[in-house]
Amino acid sequence: MPLVDPVTMSSSAIVKGAVGPSASATKATPGTQGTDSATASTTAGTSSSLATLRPVHIKQTPTAQTVRHALPAALTALYLLRFDALVADPVPVMRNSLPVVAALQMTYALLCLPAAGEPASKSNRKPRPGEKKKGGEIGSSTIITALLATVLTSVVTPFLYFAMVLFGAPFLTHGSHTFLCAAHLALLTLFPLFYVHGVDSAAWAAVAGFRAPFDETFGGLVGGLVGAWLGAVPIPLDWDREWQKWPVTILCGIYGGYLLGRVLGGTLFWGKRF
Amino acid sequence: MPPKTTSKKPPAAQSQQTEYQAIAAKFAAAKRAKEAQDAAKAQAAGVTKAAGGEATAKKKEQKQQEDRVSLADKQRAALEAKRKASFESRWLWTAGFWVWMLLIHVVGIAYFTSGFLLTRLMLDDKSVCDAPPTLNTSINGAVDILPNWKSKGTVDGGCWHPKTFERAVVVVIDALRYDFTVPVKDDAPFHNAFPFMYDTALASPNNAVLRPFIADPPTSTLQRLKGLTTGTLPTFVDVGSSFAGTAIEEDNLLMQLRDAGKRIVHLGDDTWESLFPGYFQANLSRAYDSFNVWDLHTVDNGVIEHIFPLMKRKGEWDVTIAHLLGVDHAGHRYGPDHPEMAKKLQQMNTFIKDLASNIDDDTLLIVMGDHGMDSKGDHGGESEDEVEAALWMYSPKAVFGRTKPEYVTPPATAKTRPVNQIDLVPTLALLMGIPIPYNNLGHPIEEAFVGPRGNAWDKLAAAERISAAGIKRYQTSYFSARGIEQATTTGSPADLWEKAEASVPTGKVKKGHSWEPVFEAYAEYQKETLDYSKSLWARFDVKNMIIGIGIMAAGIISLLVYINKRTEDDDALVIEDSELDHAEKSLELQGITADEGHYLEKRLFRAAMLGAVPGFFGGLLQSYLSGNGDWYRGSAVGAFTSVATVLVALHDAERAFFNVLPNTLWGWMAVVFTVSQSIGFASNSYTIWEDSIQLFVMTTFGIATALSAFRMESLPDRYMAIYHSILFVLLGRLASFSKLCREEQMPYCTSTYYASATSSTSAPWQLFIPFVAVMILPSIIKAYLTPSKSYEGLAPTWIGQVFRAGLFFSAVYWVLDAADNGNWLPVISSRLSAYLPNSATEALSTLPPLPEKILKTLSVYTAQMILGLALVAGSTAFVWAPPCISIVTTALRRAPSSKDDPLAAIPGAQQTAQVTVLGYGNAHGARYLLLPLNFFVALFLVSKPMGAGALALTLWQSLSLLEILDLLSLPIGSNPIGPIMLAILGQSAFFKTGHQATLSSIQWDSAFIPLYSIKYPWSPILVVLNTFAGQILVTIMLPMLVLWKSGPKRRGILGSVSRALAVFLAFYATEALASMMWAGHLRRHLMLYRVFSPRFMTAAITLLVVDVVALLVGLAGVRVNVMSVAEVFGWAD
Repeated sequence: MPLVDPVTMSSSAIVKGAVGPSASATKATPGTQGTDSATASTTAGTSSSLATLRPVHIKQTPTAQTVRHALPAALTALYLLRFDALVADPVPVMRNSLPVVAALQMTYALLCLPAAGEPASKSNRKPRPGEKKKGGEIGSSTIITALLATVLTSVVTPFLYFAMVLFGAPFLTHGSHTFLCAAHLALLTLFPLFYVHGVDSAAWAAVAGFRAPFDETFGGLVGGLVGAWLGAVPIPLDWDREWQKWPVTILCGIYGGYLLGRVLGGTLFWGKRF
Repeated sequence: MPPKTTSKKPPAAQSQQTEYQAIAAKFAAAKRAKEAQDAAKAQAAGVTKAAGGEATAKKKEQKQQEDRVSLADKQRAALEAKRKASFESRWLWTAGFWVWMLLIHVVGIAYFTSGFLLTRLMLDDKSVCDAPPTLNTSINGAVDILPNWKSKGTVDGGCWHPKTFERAVVVVIDALRYDFTVPVKDDAPFHNAFPFMYDTALASPNNAVLRPFIADPPTSTLQRLKGLTTGTLPTFVDVGSSFAGTAIEEDNLLMQLRDAGKRIVHLGDDTWESLFPGYFQANLSRAYDSFNVWDLHTVDNGVIEHIFPLMKRKGEWDVTIAHLLGVDHAGHRYGPDHPEMAKKLQQMNTFIKDLASNIDDDTLLIVMGDHGMDSKGDHGGESEDEVEAALWMYSPKAVFGRTKPEYVTPPATAKTRPVNQIDLVPTLALLMGIPIPYNNLGHPIEEAFVGPRGNAWDKLAAAERISAAGIKRYQTSYFSARGIEQATTTGSPADLWEKAEASVPTGKVKKGHSWEPVFEAYAEYQKETLDYSKSLWARFDVKNMIIGIGIMAAGIISLLVYINKRTEDDDALVIEDSELDHAEKSLELQGITADEGHYLEKRLFRAAMLGAVPGFFGGLLQSYLSGNGDWYRGSAVGAFTSVATVLVALHDAERAFFNVLPNTLWGWMAVVFTVSQSIGFASNSYTIWEDSIQLFVMTTFGIATALSAFRMESLPDRYMAIYHSILFVLLGRLASFSKLCREEQMPYCTSTYYASATSSTSAPWQLFIPFVAVMILPSIIKAYLTPSKSYEGLAPTWIGQVFRAGLFFSAVYWVLDAADNGNWLPVISSRLSAYLPNSATEALSTLPPLPEKILKTLSVYTAQMILGLALVAGSTAFVWAPPCISIVTTALRRAPSSKDDPLAAIPGAQQTAQVTVLGYGNAHGARYLLLPLNFFVALFLVSKPMGAGALALTLWQSLSLLEILDLLSLPIGSNPIGPIMLAILGQSAFFKTGHQATLSSIQWDSAFIPLYSIKYPWSPILVVLNTFAGQILVTIMLPMLVLWKSGPKRRGILGSVSRALAVFLAFYATEALASMMWAGHLRRHLMLYRVFSPRFMTAAITLLVVDVVALLVGLAGVRVNVMSVAEVFGWAD
């Protein structure tokens, strides 16, 4: 028997579905941790959890709060700095910026977001004797969650690519353009959600049905999707601008929409539902 | 809905009944038994309470029971008859309401069109030989540039200019594009096949001139002939008369020739006969049918046969006009990139060569194209390929010169040194010595007047001046007729005219005076005037346009209020509660009915008439009294007043006017989809890329429904909804691979509809597409019917066999057509003979040869058979078909009943049986589906193979759409999204079936699918079926939104269908209104005739087609369907 963490039930041996068991572990221990209602967000239930899916709290540590505001600014800056290069030649720019964006999103997830299976705002709570302090620091389990979220993100990217083709993206040409665009979309909007919700089917059903409450992750998703959708609007215009080339406007919409959605979802609309 | 079960007695003997009656009888018996049981139960409950088990009482009960049953039967029959009559009258009122709406649309569109399609004031003035225009326009007196010539001012010597030729032969080769006549370094079949004209122009420049010949759009033959003979600009209004071919009343070349006593002979295209009736020498002229585009050779062979004898009989004519159509027809039928085109051009080459060798010194030979053709061989628009024709002038005597040595080589492309087509008019007139027609705006072609040495500037200046003076005279009278002041600012025509006149030296002219600046000054005046006139005749009647827009807008408002009005009173009112039903029925029998004779549609129709009649006659009277003769004003006033009264009637029906905004996400989606597209028509880009936008919109809807499905509690339903949503999107994307790019989409678009971008025939692999549809489509439809157990009754035979056979023969038709076009038979037989032993080949050759045109004959018969099967037999079957249900009886053993059991009172009740009506829950939908399927076969046939595949995918998509709407519970009552998505689906199918909102994308050859030649009214109907196949299909599918998954007890079907239709038509009416508004607003836009005007025409015709189909097929189908279902199951309301 491999060693199992008593709280998260996660261990180095559990590779597949690390999130699942951890979710059930949380469920099993509500009594011990249950002052914060946000724990319910990870309870795996059936339809009842749709109603109880709670918005994600950003960690209350000073680092988390700083990073939360700094990262959107960093993404904006990155986008604006590389915009001219992007317009000139989209593929290399999108490819080279992908690891940078991944690193930024990874930092954001690790520092600001509660990992799947991890109670959200532990920093409010005094660590009990004998228990390892978790919230403020990055444990190995959160890194595994982050890595798994990365894997899941790359798994869904082809589906997003396919969805873009369905919307009318070129099918036989511009393959790498569309694929990299899908990768950016996935990394921005879906990676934080994978990190927060894991593969909790009920949570994902709520997210897919747009019933989840607004928070930074869900707001980012809605914003990114709406932005990508609106990004298609200027393409047909006969303005003969260089930036109308595929997929610059889509990417622009994705970034603009994501950042706006993430900021608004974390502030103005927090906790609201459609 | 699960199959309904009910208990009944064992089936009575039923021998020689039809299936229809059998089903009805079975169901009636089952229902009666059920009701009797229910009644008996209630009775018995009371009885047992009151009297216990007395035998006499029981007997009495039984007697009463029987009486009651027979009384109930009578009552039921009376009620059913009443309900049937009520349905029929309600249907009539509803149809009346939609006829009214159709009329509103017709009046609105007609009004707008009358103001939008350009009109030019026609002047009746004629030029006269002895009154040259310089007389009254010249500023410095009648100074002549040329010294007097012999017989000046008469036809013999030349009216306004010395005459050069006695006779002229004008050969029009329809659609002779400029690049067909010059050397081009490639292997295209349409290049380098017609070198004669180029070679002669190069080798003997004094005898021949070849120049590009630019047509003024629209590039239809009739418009071009008007331009080529009157010398003035066409206006769009003339297009409308293109099919009727009305006579030209304006002053024109032929009129001048006739008045000068010249004898004119005409050979070829009969459009000339309709434009110039009675002008031609009847004994020598030969006219041929011009619209038979299938026929490449009859006209050409006729012309060639008759023109050479004429050349020998010189004393009998002065002008011969020959109009050949083979090149144009080859373009229409095959596209330029086809061996037939090369053959045709080679034939023309030989013909012109032979003709030139038969011309004498006193005769001018002119060969020209009246327009070009686009990359698919069609024309009508104003793209470069369509307007660039060729002009070649030839004479055996040295007449022609060049002002510069480099002009000897004909231009390599039509972009350099082009000639306007109207320039031919003054050129020909002056060369023949007749007056230039009064309305001419062209100027003489310099090669014809500058002399063989290219230095006769005085002659050229004189010709230029006399034609400029004609233009000046025309402009002056045009402006005074319209009451407009001419501008005199610097650079204006008036200013340029004064400058040109001032450049003419007065008094004695020195020998060697340079006339070139004089020529330049007049040429500049002519050019400026032409440009000015082009902008001037873009003159719109803004008042009529606004009235048209107003009528359309009023119609849409009443549609929206009507939609909103019906929100509550209908929708899925299913009465399954037999007691409530029973109670209602008895109320109705006593005459206490809720809305007897008070249908909304009845009130609306009456209101419409109340408004329309006084309005119409009032308008008539007013226009009569005011005396300005616009008698059609009555229709506009009538339209407005009737809309007003209808709105008042709707308001009386207690409905707030401003409650038209949607209140759900789906409702908003419907509004956004409709409105955003309408706004998009303001931009030429969005209009050009409309096909991509439709796909984007449909995918958005599909993804939204898939995501929305995650909200569903039931997992099987959720997965089905996701499955159908994704299927809907996938099929839409798959179908979008079939497209025909419009010119403006280049180079970002690849056409796939035809074999290549320069062809209008299908590639061999595309012929397999319809066969794939034959194999899978019937099974797919079956798969949609099976879950509701509706693949019963007529459905298996009709869908599995008749429908499949129809599709199969359509697929065969296109193979026959391809074999005919590609000339496969000789190819195959020659290939065969290579493989067969000699003896077999000899044996084959002894067989009688196949009759001429066997393939065409076969394909015409196939097509006629399919259309007969689909439309005649199909409609008959639809009218007579029983519902797609079947009644299954299974024995059900009852437990022995106690003495107290009231059912003991009914004989035989103990041995009840379980009766299951298969397909009960979808009784309306499954039966109605047969109607769209019948029409689908016809549409499948008239669409080319690629389009047939796209239509099949559209049908499949529409079935998925029905399932999505059903699963997500988006019934039509609460949601406009269903009809809107169906409308968008139809609109998108329009693009996928090889059409664009341009004139040149009309597939005229579809008129010949079941016919050999043009036949009215069938040919136009076939073209409409081909063009609007997508919209027609979804219009017929529309009632399915209400009927699908509707059982016999569904109430208010007619109201719901009418409401769905209102939403559906609101979409098309909004598109028509928007394209109308934008076309009107952007009437000075550069892209008006290329983008906005064709889009308006497409939207307007689509709206009218959809209106008519909805009324004649959709509503009529619903009537038949409801009555058939009610005949079996009884009336629900």
